Amino acid sequence: MTKELENKLREEVRNLLEKGKVDRVIGYGAGSLRFAATPLIISDKADVDRLIINPFIHNNLSVFLPDVSGKVAIVAKECDARSIISLVQNKQIPRENVYIIGVPCSGIIDLGKVEKLTGLDRDEIDDISWQGDKVTIASAGGAKEFTAQEVLADSCLGCDAGGFREFDLVIGEMKPVAADKELIRKRIKDMEAMSPAERWEFWKNEFSRCIRCYACRQICPVCFCDRCFVEETEPQWISPLPRWQDNLIFQAVRMMHVAGRCTDCGECERACPVNIPLGILTGKMEDIVEELFEYRAGMDKDAPPLMAAYQPEEAEDLIR
Amino acid sequence: MDSFEPKIVAFCCNWCSYAGADLAGTSRMQYPPNIRIIRVMCSGRVNPSFVLKALSVGADGVLVLGCHPGDCHYLTGNYRARRRMAIAKKFLEYMGVEPERIQVGWCSASEGSRFAELVGEVTDNLRQLSPNRMFND
Ligand code: SF4
Ligand code: SF4
Ligand code: FES
Repeated sequence: MTKELENKLREEVRNLLEKGKVDRVIGYGAGSLRFAATPLIISDKADVDRLIINPFIHNNLSVFLPDVSGKVAIVAKECDARSIISLVQNKQIPRENVYIIGVPCSGIIDLGKVEKLTGLDRDEIDDISWQGDKVTIASAGGAKEFTAQEVLADSCLGCDAGGFREFDLVIGEMKPVAADKELIRKRIKDMEAMSPAERWEFWKNEFSRCIRCYACRQICPVCFCDRCFVEETEPQWISPLPRWQDNLIFQAVRMMHVAGRCTDCGECERACPVNIPLGILTGKMEDIVEELFEYRAGMDKDAPPLMAAYQPEEAEDLIR
Repeated sequence: MDSFEPKIVAFCCNWCSYAGADLAGTSRMQYPPNIRIIRVMCSGRVNPSFVLKALSVGADGVLVLGCHPGDCHYLTGNYRARRRMAIAKKFLEYMGVEPERIQVGWCSASEGSRFAELVGEVTDNLRQLSPNRMFND
């Protein structure tokens, strides 16, 4: 199945480059670690066969768009495509310079979960194959079968794809993801059930581990500022030292900055080297924005950015 | 719990709420001395980082005041402030900041008494909480 998609993608991309419709293509290539996919930017059609599609293409490639010049085709899952439109809405890229190639996505397999479930390192795994809702992991010790839900990335379990209309081309047929929203919403619900003091304690604890590598910011497509507030010195909003207080303020402010731009794609949580559950924050922020302002980032390229618009009457119950 | 005297940082817009505070003062209205006013040109100037900064350096609560909807001197600053602050309030509450610590309100230049009342209410609300030790180690 993924081979078919891969061939189709290569054919379409070759075509686009040959006809000069795009200057560059942002897609996925084979990574250096086993199974892993890595971002690949090509402009020469000789490189077309390096493009791959498999269930490990987790990167949200839209993060590269503002930095890649010319007409660009980009391989996008629906969640990534929403980030692209979010960038268009926020005037970071002109819509006409981007050619969005949609890939049907049934969810991304989280290799971390696979390693945990099998107790194997990814190098010890021979093959991961996915049929229907079963994923089979083959190794020297035999084959083990799991349900797709057991190995899907958290952000895919919360997937609410469907209804996105901005693809320029879709290779193959879009299919629903074996999402388990209840499971993933549980993280947010559990948080809401705590008292404010418990919640604060939770985040204090989490952010005590943060090393302020800023991977979450760098990987974020909608953290597009040339100069981030954390590097400002007059005023200096937070100390550059990774004290938990400053770490927490950094992330809280980052979340408020990306409110209405963030599509909860899950990349920040995946990028975090110390596994801070940032998805509990991005997921909640998406909820807040939707509840208060009936707004969903990246769905409509003509909708103004959340913070650039208002309704005369809204959110008044929060105001004295 | 022993009640305490909260320290409140208030961001007041120049054109309405700061003038409202002025009126309360010149009219010799009584209101709690717990408030420290920082004048900003418009409530739309208030960055959520101001709120976090104030809380992190020891304010027990933050009050953001602007002109009533429709009355902003810059026409739409308070509408923008409303979106921003509504999100800040909800989101920071989710992270564990008690909602009472972040307050937003509207107060016009002629509403000296409303200003005094608002400050009274917010101070009372905060007295029910404990002092802000959120950012202590
Ligand atoms: S990726 Fe994780 S450790 Fe790095 S700055 Fe972000 S939250 Fe902190
Ligand atoms: S954290 Fe805020 S200032 Fe920094 S890059 Fe992201 S959006 Fe921009
Ligand atoms: S000037 Fe008062 S809110 Fe804008």
